[in-house]
Amino acid sequence: MAFKKDTVVGTMIFTLVLCLSCSFMITGTAEVLKERKLVKKRDELKRNVLLAADIDISGDKDFRAIFEQSVKPLLVELDTGVIDSQANVLDFDDRMAAINPQTSSKPKKDIAKIKTRANQARVFKVFDDKGELHAVVLPIYGKGLWSIIYGYVALKPDLNTIENVVFYEHGETPGIGDFLDDTAWTDKLKGKQLFDEKGQVSFKVVKGGAKAGDLHGVDAVSGATMTGRGVQRAMQFWFGVEGYQTFLHKLKASEV
Amino acid sequence: MSKSMTATRDILTGPIFANNPVAMQVLGVCSALAVSNSMQTALVMTLAVTFVLVFSNLIISSIRNFIPNSVRIIAQMTVIASLVIIVDMVLQDVAYELSRQLSVFVGLIITNCIIMGRAEAFAMKMPPHLAVVDAMGNAMGYGVILLSVAFVRELLGAGTLFGHEILKTVENDGWYLANEMFKLPPSAFFLIGLLIWAINVIQRKRG
Repeated sequence: MAFKKDTVVGTMIFTLVLCLSCSFMITGTAEVLKERKLVKKRDELKRNVLLAADIDISGDKDFRAIFEQSVKPLLVELDTGVIDSQANVLDFDDRMAAINPQTSSKPKKDIAKIKTRANQARVFKVFDDKGELHAVVLPIYGKGLWSIIYGYVALKPDLNTIENVVFYEHGETPGIGDFLDDTAWTDKLKGKQLFDEKGQVSFKVVKGGAKAGDLHGVDAVSGATMTGRGVQRAMQFWFGVEGYQTFLHKLKASEV
Repeated sequence: MSKSMTATRDILTGPIFANNPVAMQVLGVCSALAVSNSMQTALVMTLAVTFVLVFSNLIISSIRNFIPNSVRIIAQMTVIASLVIIVDMVLQDVAYELSRQLSVFVGLIITNCIIMGRAEAFAMKMPPHLAVVDAMGNAMGYGVILLSVAFVRELLGAGTLFGHEILKTVENDGWYLANEMFKLPPSAFFLIGLLIWAINVIQRKRG
C-alpha cells in the first residue's frame, strides 16, 4: 500500500510519526544533559549560599571546597522546626516540594502570594575558620510585580541582624524592578534587623526613603513599588510563624 | 563553471547581500534589535539561528514529499520548535550566563520569520543539498547584519569589542564618553535603516 499523504489517514500517520520523532529528539537531548544540569544546579546553589553569607569567592577560589568546609546544610520541618537528618539536602528539590500536594500546604495567611508552601525547607549554617557560627542562610521567595522573586537571606548569629541578601532569580521589569540584582541596593539591607523587641517581623521597604538610623527599614526604589513590596512581604512571610520563626526560636534556644 | 554550480553559488551568496533577509526582506528584525548590543550575544545568536535554519531546512526538505498539504505549516513549526528547544537546552548547558543574557530571544527563534520563510518558500520545493546551501546563505545574511550592527553598537556604546577594551572610556579614566543610546534597541533601528539604505544605493549602481 502506497503512502497517500493527502488523505485523512495519511495526515494522521504523518503527524503521529513527526510528533513522536520530535519528542524523541528533545527527550534524548534532555537525557544527555541531565547529569550535567544537576551538577550545575548544585554549583549554583553553593555559590549563591556563599555569596549570601558574604564569603569572598571571587577570582579562582574554589567555592566547592569552601562550601564543603564551612557550610552545613540542613533540612527543616517548618511547622515544628525539627531537622530531618535523613535527607539528602543538596539535592532536595524545593520547587517541586512546593507544588507537590503531598509535601506542601496552603499557608493560612499567604502574604507572599506563593499559593503553596513546602513543608520542609533548606537552611544553611555557615561557619568561620574557627568553627564559630558565622551566619545562617535561609531561602525566601515571594511574588513581586510580574514574577516570583527568589533569594537567600543570611542572618548573623544573633538570628536577627541581616548579614547579607542575594536575589538570584526574578523576572521583574528590566531597568526598574531589577534593582534586586544591584549590590548597591542589597548592601543597604546589611545590618538591618528583622524583628522588633516583641519578636514581630518589622522589616520594611520604605517609600520615600528610610530615616537615618532606622533599624528595620530600607529605601524603596521609585517606580518599583510592587517589587519592593514583594520583597517586604516575602520577608514578612518567611520570617513569620509560617516560615522560619519556629526553627529560629529553637536554634536560639540551642535545641537544634 | 557549470550551470548548476553557478546556480548553487547564487543560492549561497544571494541572501548575504543582494537579497538579505533582514535588510531587504525585513524579516527577523525583532531579534536583530534585541541581541545586537554586544558582539558576543550577536555571535551566539547567529550560531543558534544558523543551526536551527540549516537543520530545519534539511529535515523539512528531506520529508517534503511526505508532508500533507493541509498540515504543512504546523509540521514546519513542529520541526523548528523542536530544534529551538534543543538549542536552548544546549546553550543553557554550555553557556549559562550568555543564555541568560539572550533570555527569551533564543526561544523566539521559533517565530523568526526567516526560518519559517525559508522552510515554506524553499525547503518545501527543493532537494536537501540545495536547501542546506540556502539555509547557510540566509544564516550568513542574518549574521552579517547582526554582527555589523553589534560591532557599531558595542564599540560606540561601551567602547569594547567582544568585551575587550578598544576605546578607553571616561569611567575607566580614559577619554571616550560612551554613548549610552547605542546600548538600547532604538539605535539598532537607525543602524539597520542606514544599512538598508547603503545596500539599496549599491544595488542601484550595479543596475
